[in-house]
Amino acid sequence: MHPFAQVILDGLFTGSTYALMAAGLALILGVVKVVNLSHGAFFSLGAYVAYVLSAKEVSNNPAAAVLLACVIAFAFGVFLGKSFINPVRSHPFSVAVGSLGFAILFEQAAQMLWGPHPVSIGSGPPWGELSGVVVRRWGAVSLLASAGILGGLALFLSSRWGLPLKLISEEEEIAGSVGIDVEKYRYLTFGFAAAAAAVAGALLAPATSITPTMGRVPLILSLIVVIASGMENVLAIFLLAMGLGLLSNISAYLLAPQWSHVSLLTVISLLLLLRPAGLSSTDPGRDD
Amino acid sequence: MRRIACFLPVPLLALSALVLLSFAAPASPEPIAQIRIGVLAPLSGPFAGGGSALTQAVTLAVELANAEGGLLGRPVELLVADTQGRVEIARSEALRLTSREKVFALVGAYLSEETVGVIEVAAASRSVLIVPVAATNEITDRVRREYDRYRYIFRVGYSIPQWAGMMAEFLARQGVSRYAFVGTGIRWNRELAGELRRALAPKRIVPVYESFYSPRNPAFESVAVAVMARSPEILVLGDPGGSSAEFVKRVREGGAIFPILSVGGTLGDARIAATLPLSAPLYVQAASWKGASPAATRYAKAFERRYGYMPVGYSDTLPYDAATVLFSAVRAAGRTDSDAVVKALETGAFPGIAGTYRFDPSHQAAWGTPELHGIVIRWEPGGARIVFPVPPGESNPAAADPRAQ
Repeated sequence: MHPFAQVILDGLFTGSTYALMAAGLALILGVVKVVNLSHGAFFSLGAYVAYVLSAKEVSNNPAAAVLLACVIAFAFGVFLGKSFINPVRSHPFSVAVGSLGFAILFEQAAQMLWGPHPVSIGSGPPWGELSGVVVRRWGAVSLLASAGILGGLALFLSSRWGLPLKLISEEEEIAGSVGIDVEKYRYLTFGFAAAAAAVAGALLAPATSITPTMGRVPLILSLIVVIASGMENVLAIFLLAMGLGLLSNISAYLLAPQWSHVSLLTVISLLLLLRPAGLSSTDPGRDD
Repeated sequence: MRRIACFLPVPLLALSALVLLSFAAPASPEPIAQIRIGVLAPLSGPFAGGGSALTQAVTLAVELANAEGGLLGRPVELLVADTQGRVEIARSEALRLTSREKVFALVGAYLSEETVGVIEVAAASRSVLIVPVAATNEITDRVRREYDRYRYIFRVGYSIPQWAGMMAEFLARQGVSRYAFVGTGIRWNRELAGELRRALAPKRIVPVYESFYSPRNPAFESVAVAVMARSPEILVLGDPGGSSAEFVKRVREGGAIFPILSVGGTLGDARIAATLPLSAPLYVQAASWKGASPAATRYAKAFERRYGYMPVGYSDTLPYDAATVLFSAVRAAGRTDSDAVVKALETGAFPGIAGTYRFDPSHQAAWGTPELHGIVIRWEPGGARIVFPVPPGESNPAAADPRAQ
């Protein structure tokens, strides 16, 4: 085994899990322009869908879990976007508190349905070895999925179908004046973002311990990625997520595990101090 | 005015008649007063799994006690409070239970930090507090230092030195000389790593790697790689929570073949163990296990019948024993007077699932003795097998070469 090469590969895999969660969050921040603190709950929902399918021996096929999680989360997301987010979106604190409330409600519901104890799904063997470096199955799945989702999102936004979203993101009033149903696009975006988080949860479920509160950590990390990279540039989100994944794993290996979080937050704080509007923004955005 | 004065004697007479009647009426049979016991556990938030197991076990103990006629002929009523894993909530809930709900005794809390807050309330209200799992030394240190104030606090669960001692004994029997310790970066875990190092030093077993991860960003992959690079003969996993399963998956996925010894908790759960790779030995330390004794088997069956899953042998077994020890002490005292119960607890011996409990001068149960010792199980494809203490008539093949398992 080459320990450092293994740490580098694992760091890329870790970064891809941040990117996977950040994709949906960036969409919400860019289009709906709210901080959605219920995003982690959709991640947990996806994981529980995968668990139920596996535990009830319905299907161990990740594709089935991904599909079902996607449909359920999309429906929930649209409902939440239409009934709660849209009516109060001009009040950012209300949105933050309300979406946090939804996340806590979901945690309580999950606890009542599946119990407070952690549950788990078999993770299977690794995919293989490359010159003594182990390719972790769920790491590779995460890397491919994040590249696929973010790549798909970038393609969509650059196509003519993505134009309404770009217009809403940049000039909401103009979008409305040219006949775009802004409200509809907002709640559909919320639904898609929820579905993306649930897909991440369903894909990564076998690699984790599934608990009602499992979405809290990914929420914070993906929020960090989106805010630090800026929500306009999909490639910047992907690259920053990868960089942070590498930083997290290398510092844990070279220093100590508890340094992974500290080093990650230190770098993010410095980045935000220099470029509060995010890395990809052309405007540094500093107030001084 | 005169008309009002004329009517005044009527209600006065009626009231007098009512008073006389109430004195003359035969006394209705008074309901038998219940003995109220409070349970403090985190039932929401990240520690809800452990807190829920704690509550389930105490509930089972109360149900079985009530089915046998209760305590001193009175039924036991359980009042459960959710501490949310937070010190200030644990303290305020303990205050509510003792002052408003008038509980006679408390069982809990779950985390060391919470329990340190609760012992202040128990001491101030002179309520007996039985600590089931919180392991920090501070709890019994206070009893030792200020006996008069903290004499109401007893710990049924093992202290950190006792825990380390039992694990050291197992590691020595395995014949290893190099181990790694990885765990969550919380207080008791760091204390446990230190105590284990001290307990193993005379046996010439040394740590080759020691680290504590942050639950917020554990970086499990890097920890797994770092551990493998040090080539320990066994890995001690100091994490009773859900993350432990995730860490085992990462270590095994990376190709590590060294055995893992868990401090217990989540990895004692058969439903979790069934999803973990068993390509190398996975040992779990527990207070007791089905098959360890007739009492342990009876308890495991009752627990499974009641809740539909097997107990994990730690966060449920110790709280069950905490409740049964309390009930036995009340029976021995013959009344629910705190000082009388304290006296009974200090002088008596109380049988539980894990063995017989006796308390030392700091009110710590004497673990690591022939009559009360922990066990170690090993997960195998068909279930768990007790491997330590080695059951009579069985050899200890693990001692020869732990990697060969």
